[in-house]
Amino acid sequence: MVTSDEVGAIILHALEALNEDSNPEDRIAVSLETPLFGADSGIDSLGFVSLITDVETALNVDHDLNISLADDFAVSRAQSPFATGETLRDYIMTLAAGQ
Amino acid sequence: MDLRGQFVVLRSLRVEDAGLTLGWRMSSRAALLNSGAQTVAEQAEWIASRPASELNFVIQLRSGQPVGMLSLVGIDETNRRAEPARFLIGEPEAVRGLPVAVESMKLLYDLAFDRMKLKRVYGTVVADNPLMLKWQKYLGMKEEGRLRQHYFIGGSFRDAICVGMLEDEYRAVALPRMNALISTATGDQRA
Repeated sequence: MVTSDEVGAIILHALEALNEDSNPEDRIAVSLETPLFGADSGIDSLGFVSLITDVETALNVDHDLNISLADDFAVSRAQSPFATGETLRDYIMTLAAGQ
Repeated sequence: MDLRGQFVVLRSLRVEDAGLTLGWRMSSRAALLNSGAQTVAEQAEWIASRPASELNFVIQLRSGQPVGMLSLVGIDETNRRAEPARFLIGEPEAVRGLPVAVESMKLLYDLAFDRMKLKRVYGTVVADNPLMLKWQKYLGMKEEGRLRQHYFIGGSFRDAICVGMLEDEYRAVALPRMNALISTATGDQRA
């Protein structure tokens, strides 16, 4: 079973990878408090898709979890799972518990 | 032809857009696109000479502010295929927090698969543009090959990755993901 700390590390690593692939002016803070998507986020759509692709891949390769982050279940949540790194971590732990 | 979504309108590119679109294409964000016109006059001439096999759009916010461009080129009605191309968000600050890129692609795919009844869309992505490659794949494109030293950009030759998506893959993969991304982007409004 993946731990909350491990999921947090995956998200931070994905943020670091996003910064490496981005122009200097588009780089964002590598923190679980970083807004990921929405009005408060400094991440554009291409960056956001890159981020969730990297997170899904790491969960699958490193922890054998086949999770789709952007789907109807994510939409149904009262709070967007993509508000910050922390909300994404908590959402992933909810999905992982169901597998 | 205008394509209207919840957040954006894709309206036909006009000669009067030459100065605006040239500015976008000469920005650092467009560094990995093919080089093109260097002056407003050249850009205007290029716009005026677009063939019937292309549909070129300016991406506008619902307020009317132009923020980017997107095209469907190489439209082949016999083989029922076309190439989404020239995708560029030129005003990143204006679209912050809005699912402009996703909805623009959704409107273009809706045009291709639902209105024009195409069976396939395809394209190439510069190999050292990982963000665009992940974007295309996440939105349903599959990698189909590699063209070695296909582009000469910024003083060096670059490989191109060939990608393509069939109609059934669009409906099974791309459309649900685009709908989810658009909905989650507006989650704070819904909650």
